[in-house]
Amino acid sequence: MPPPSFWRRRAVLEAWHLPGLGESVAEWLEGRTRAGAEFRAPALSAAQAGAVAQSVRRAALEARSNRTTGEVVGSIAAAASKLSGGGAEGVATRELLRAELGWDERLVRDTLEGMARTWTADSLKGLVDVELGGSAVLDGFVADTTWTGPGHRSRRALGSPVVLQVLAGNVPGVAITATIRALLVRSGVLCKLPESEPGLLPLFARLLAEEDPLLGRCVAATWWSGDSFPAAWREWAKWAGRAVVYGGDEMVEAVRASLPADTDLVSYGPKTGVAVVLPEASAGAARELARDICAYDQQGCVSPRLVYVVGESTRPFVEALASALAEHTRRHPPPDPTLAEAVAIRSARTACEFAGYEDGRSLVEAPGESLAWTILASESPAATAESLPRVVWVHHVPNLETVEDTLRTLEGRIQTLGYCGAEGLQKLAALATRLSVSRIAPFGSMAWPPADWRHEGKHQLLPLVNWTDFEIPE
Amino acid sequence: MSTPQVPGTDAFDLLSAELIAAFEAWSPGIPSWDAGDLDAWARRAFRLQFEGNTAYGKYCEARGVGPGDVSGWRDAVPVPTEAFRAVDLVVGSGAAVSLTFQTSGTTRGRSAQGRHLVRSPELYRASLRAGFRAFVLPGKIATKIVTLPPSLTEEAGSSLGWMLDDVRAGFGTGDGVCVASPGGIDWSLLDAEVRESVQSERPLCILGTTVGFASWLDRLADGRSPAVHLPMGSVLMDTGGEKGRPGLQRSTVVRGMVHHLGLSLDAVVNEFGMTELLSQRYGYGDPAHPLVGPPWLRSRVLDPLTLEELPDGAVGILCHYDLANLGSVCAVLTEDQGRIVGEGIEWVGRTAGAPPRGCSLATAELLEAQGRA
Repeated sequence: MPPPSFWRRRAVLEAWHLPGLGESVAEWLEGRTRAGAEFRAPALSAAQAGAVAQSVRRAALEARSNRTTGEVVGSIAAAASKLSGGGAEGVATRELLRAELGWDERLVRDTLEGMARTWTADSLKGLVDVELGGSAVLDGFVADTTWTGPGHRSRRALGSPVVLQVLAGNVPGVAITATIRALLVRSGVLCKLPESEPGLLPLFARLLAEEDPLLGRCVAATWWSGDSFPAAWREWAKWAGRAVVYGGDEMVEAVRASLPADTDLVSYGPKTGVAVVLPEASAGAARELARDICAYDQQGCVSPRLVYVVGESTRPFVEALASALAEHTRRHPPPDPTLAEAVAIRSARTACEFAGYEDGRSLVEAPGESLAWTILASESPAATAESLPRVVWVHHVPNLETVEDTLRTLEGRIQTLGYCGAEGLQKLAALATRLSVSRIAPFGSMAWPPADWRHEGKHQLLPLVNWTDFEIPE
Repeated sequence: MSTPQVPGTDAFDLLSAELIAAFEAWSPGIPSWDAGDLDAWARRAFRLQFEGNTAYGKYCEARGVGPGDVSGWRDAVPVPTEAFRAVDLVVGSGAAVSLTFQTSGTTRGRSAQGRHLVRSPELYRASLRAGFRAFVLPGKIATKIVTLPPSLTEEAGSSLGWMLDDVRAGFGTGDGVCVASPGGIDWSLLDAEVRESVQSERPLCILGTTVGFASWLDRLADGRSPAVHLPMGSVLMDTGGEKGRPGLQRSTVVRGMVHHLGLSLDAVVNEFGMTELLSQRYGYGDPAHPLVGPPWLRSRVLDPLTLEELPDGAVGILCHYDLANLGSVCAVLTEDQGRIVGEGIEWVGRTAGAPPRGCSLATAELLEAQGRA
């Protein structure tokens, strides 16, 4: 089968998948990713947006009648496996991500494979089993064995017929993950794509349509510039019973304000990863952490930015981490930082280096003037970090109590707390719960949460379903 | 801060005195400042700063650069402006500092003021006055100096305030005035100065921030201040651009001012200065480039990724070299974008803060979180 055609002449990416749009596109919106890939999407009129929303709703309702959740899982998994597979579709996907993100082939492949592990039929079925006790409850009413009242009660769980999704500047694949979750609970999806990576979800939707045209019609995705809410959005908002937002506090508030008052909102805010090196960590810990740092080009909410070395000086670990980052970067060179990032990295290095000249407690490890990676090490505990590519702050802490005191400022903002070493691990877990950390994971797997992880400490599917209780007297 | 081991304050004083004499002797066209001379000064300045400015010396050593490696101004290791926030950069003891200028307080959402310690106000003055004489008031016309705020009286630590006060004291007819009131600009005094200038046919040199001129333009446009034809030889000097009023267009301000004050566009001079630099560049009209300066203030344009020098005309990060910075660090790497145009530079803009990456916590949010402690 030939790869889906998503490139136009001049290599402009088609960043849209709009079932029900019809043939007439009067005007196009054009954008460009950070890495410079050009893309376009139709400028939707309110009438066109309404037609798309109705089409998605019809398809979602039809799929509830004509497809079991098991069949949906099968089609999703088949489409997803093509994205990351060795066939023509996989080649096209990797080409797309390289162009959109400026990543090298290896980083793209690793990222795609990591995500695809959570999109297999077994993973998806497992997720439904864990959160909903199996797919039967999505396909029909299931007897409630805990019912102690008169007669019988059965229950059914279903998502809203239409879910709105807004993805502000997310890592690749998040749009697909969010869409899969909605499809699993039998919702249709209207998605505003992220400017940083607008191509992957439309590509996935086309592959899904090839597997099952009806399911392909359950997903609509497009892009427009900025955080605005044009007429098309307002039209979509009328049809959605629930909105899912990935974005910062301002974005979430703006979306909330733009929705009808009774629209349910599920939000995922920006988070950060923190790594703790416990005493007597293994020799390979730095190498594992380097892998976590470089995964997703450090854009993930699970990506470590702050590292705490418990016990003695940071020096040996910093040297090992520098060596590991150098080796990782040699094999997987990162894309060039943007101009703003370049300036910010130099500025952060300068502040750290000169502070070290002043007090002798800070130092910078970096490959000379190259910006490929940076370690900003300090013997003083602090929760200082910025969101910059392949830049980590390493702080010395005398004990875990100091880690907790230091991280209290980030309470509720830590997505993954990584660790290496065993001494004090239970204590670390206890402090993580006090800081509302949503996941504790060993170095090397920080960046790769399993399919059924509790994203931000929440269930993945339960926040998306509405329950219907059916009571029958004796 | 720690007291650096210095080769003796005499070394700074001696070189500073020589530079003051050289600055004062300079005027455009005098051939005493060829490239070889500047490089010779730069070698001496680098040695002094390498040995006398402890933090800078360590910074250079970390890059494997010592006095023996510097043959001219281009070789001097530049410090990023951030360094002025991190430490006191001064040759010799901080106790020898007689003047301190504060840098602006924010960078990428972070609130952190830096400062530039000035060991020799005389050296600063010599550079400032030589440049101002050459680029703003090159004629000998008797001109009255009028400055808009700030002055040091209202804003201690402002390098612009110091500059305006010094120009008022050192140039013109000796009766210069600062039209400041507690709330900002004393409009009635400014209007009176303008009327008096027209009546007496004595030209004015009016100096202020672009934002200050924008406020004046608002008044000129609605008739609260008088529109006039200022006498021949009058000059406006603005500085700062849109800083303090986002969205302000300098072009709008400049064209409005010349319209209401009866001036030609080339009677408007744009001053380009930074707290981290003690010399200034100037441009004329609109757009005001190239920005030119005295021969001891030079600029390079660097690739932001590699810090390699870019060819003339290419846009990159501006890196300045200023001998008037003898008491701190001469070579300063900015966060500004610009390019070389002829003998001067074009300032393209400040590099905006890096936007958040992916769904990782954004810089501002992380820093804000720290503020919740």
